[in-house]
Amino acid sequence: MKVGISSTGTSLESNVDMRFGRCPYFIIYDTESNDFEHIENQSRQAMGGAGIQAAQMIIDKKVGVVITGNVGPNAHRVLGSANIKIYSGITGTVKDAIEKLKKDEFKETAGPDVPSHFGTG
Amino acid sequence: MKQITIISGKGGTGKTTIASNFIKLARDHIAVDSDVDAANLHILLDPKIKETKDFIGGAVAEVSDECTNCGECENLCRFEAISNSSSDIKIDPIRCEGCGVCEYVCPVDAIKLESNNQGYYYTSESSFCTLVHAKLNPGAENSGLLVTRVRNVAEDIANNQNKKAIIIDGAPGIGCPVISSLNGVDYAMIVTEPTLSGIGDFIKVFEVTKFFNIKTFACVNKYDINLNNTEKIYDFCLKNDIELIGKIPYDDKVSICLSNRKFIIDEPSSEAGKEIKKIWEKVKEYLYPN
Amino acid sequence: MILSVASGKGGTGKTTVAVNLALSVGFCQFMDYDVEAPNAAFFLKPDIKHIQKVEMKHPYFLKEVCNACGKCAEFCNFNAVAVAGDEVIFFPELCHGCGGCLLVCPEGAVREKDVEIGKIKKGFSKPGINFYMGDLKPGYMRTISVQAALDKFIEKDILIIIDCPPGTSCPMVFSVKDSDYCILVTEPTPYGLNDLLISIEVLKDMGIPYGVIINRDGIGNDEVENYCRKNNIKILLKIPNDMEVAKYYSRGESMLDYDISWKGKFENILKEIKKDVRK
Ligand code: SF4
Ligand code: SF4
Repeated sequence: MKVGISSTGTSLESNVDMRFGRCPYFIIYDTESNDFEHIENQSRQAMGGAGIQAAQMIIDKKVGVVITGNVGPNAHRVLGSANIKIYSGITGTVKDAIEKLKKDEFKETAGPDVPSHFGTG
Repeated sequence: MKQITIISGKGGTGKTTIASNFIKLARDHIAVDSDVDAANLHILLDPKIKETKDFIGGAVAEVSDECTNCGECENLCRFEAISNSSSDIKIDPIRCEGCGVCEYVCPVDAIKLESNNQGYYYTSESSFCTLVHAKLNPGAENSGLLVTRVRNVAEDIANNQNKKAIIIDGAPGIGCPVISSLNGVDYAMIVTEPTLSGIGDFIKVFEVTKFFNIKTFACVNKYDINLNNTEKIYDFCLKNDIELIGKIPYDDKVSICLSNRKFIIDEPSSEAGKEIKKIWEKVKEYLYPN
Repeated sequence: MILSVASGKGGTGKTTVAVNLALSVGFCQFMDYDVEAPNAAFFLKPDIKHIQKVEMKHPYFLKEVCNACGKCAEFCNFNAVAVAGDEVIFFPELCHGCGGCLLVCPEGAVREKDVEIGKIKKGFSKPGINFYMGDLKPGYMRTISVQAALDKFIEKDILIIIDCPPGTSCPMVFSVKDSDYCILVTEPTPYGLNDLLISIEVLKDMGIPYGVIINRDGIGNDEVENYCRKNNIKILLKIPNDMEVAKYYSRGESMLDYDISWKGKFENILKEIKKDVRK
């Protein structure tokens, strides 16, 4: 299974970034092979709907689980429709987060953490 | 790390003056000027620019010589941005929204969306802290996007340097840029004036902070020019669970200090300066909780 | 003649100038283009006779027809559509109403409907002012669309006074684009000068003649005045800083209510301006 983690940097030692839509990088980690890659988050540059665009990218990468700080309602809806599991409110390094996920220590997030971002800004 | 945005709805209520003085009083922080349209925070902070980056904004359509003047694009453009009056397809960049419909329909591929430089953003050092600010090219679009860009930079720096607070001078109005300057912050402080338009804009901008679920403080500047209206603002705050954090008297010294590029808090005889210090003491409790 | 009143930032007295100019002239068409925060009505107190909706088109998606190919989401430059699992998700607040998704859908699964994004209000203010204002619905960031709807009401052969939105970005540029002259209102402070310089840059670019009104003259310093003198920029008027004026303003009253001699001063400005208007 592939895991998508919003990250402040490109390595497993980087921290989980608070911002889902506007984090600088995503780490895509494969829990079967233990391989990972980093992708620059293009939606960070989006005029609006960064969370939506990031979610669409995560879907296209065939990710099954998302680990992040905060997810807004728009991104939450898109990820939810694609049946992607969301663990939010996570802090610490990407590596720790993956370990915790493997040990099944997370609780799934039922709703969005931050209210909707209206506007095109 | 906590973030506070100082906003006003209406401009000219003293927002930037208060933000500048807060920035001087704070510690372990980063400052952001998100009024990218008419940035003023640098005037008092007098920072040295350390890094300049291009802001490439949203795209606008451009036509090339291949155009055969078929008029397809003109028919489909919803923004009246394309005119065909002089037998030549012309695109009005003021009206163009960059949706890409014309590019899609053009049978000879004569239209392309082009992103251009629409301004710059800077990371600077002042004697108090790092300041992230920007300059939008005059008349350019997408100030909301530039605000987001500036805030991204500030948040990255704060994350890397373990800063405790980000103080943001917000954008005026209730549109895109304000929303971008509020998105995801912990606190908002609305600076208002006891005038009819001040109250009207206060209520409008509060709608925005309420929508975002942001803990909101209110501060009435020049409260003594109309005590009746100040009273009305108080009532509104009480009813809406807005913490009234202070009221600043009208004080000529504010503009005099500004003209001499001095901070009003450093002027011992200024009533407004004293009040701003008191307000900061309260804000500090929230920004630095432990 | 189209005369716009603008300022680099809000709160400099732009609306005050526009309103008092209109009241002094008496007969004109007044248009509040500051559709995010239209305030002129507080002072002109028009009796609004007509209210007209401003609408835009939003797409909706027919579930039975859509096969989730994702073409619409790929096209939309504003991230207003996402395709996840087997459904289309639409985010109305991000949609610009361009019609692109409808155009690209190979299945014909997209339809459109009208949604309201604001209002145009028309009325009459004493003595002879035809009053128009745009009012953007909060949450819909379609400032320009509401302004474009106002454009349609601009009449010929009458003095039009436009109260512009503050700043120098898109909405301000849109408001001044057809002006024959623009009055820039500023304050004699470093902030005021900084904002004035940016506004001047915009107007120069657009080839629109302009002059300056200094409001709250007496506060701050003379940087603004010196700059104007040095660069041959006409200072049309200086409005002294006066607690009394501020009090009238705070109650929604005009400068003419306070001191009728302002009428003559504003009429004179208009004469000055007529010498310089764009041909
Ligand atoms: S109409 Fe245009 S902006 Fe709206 S969803 Fe369709 S493609 Fe996107
Ligand atoms: S383009 Fe049409 S068929 Fe394809 S996902 Fe969009 S609505 Fe459905």
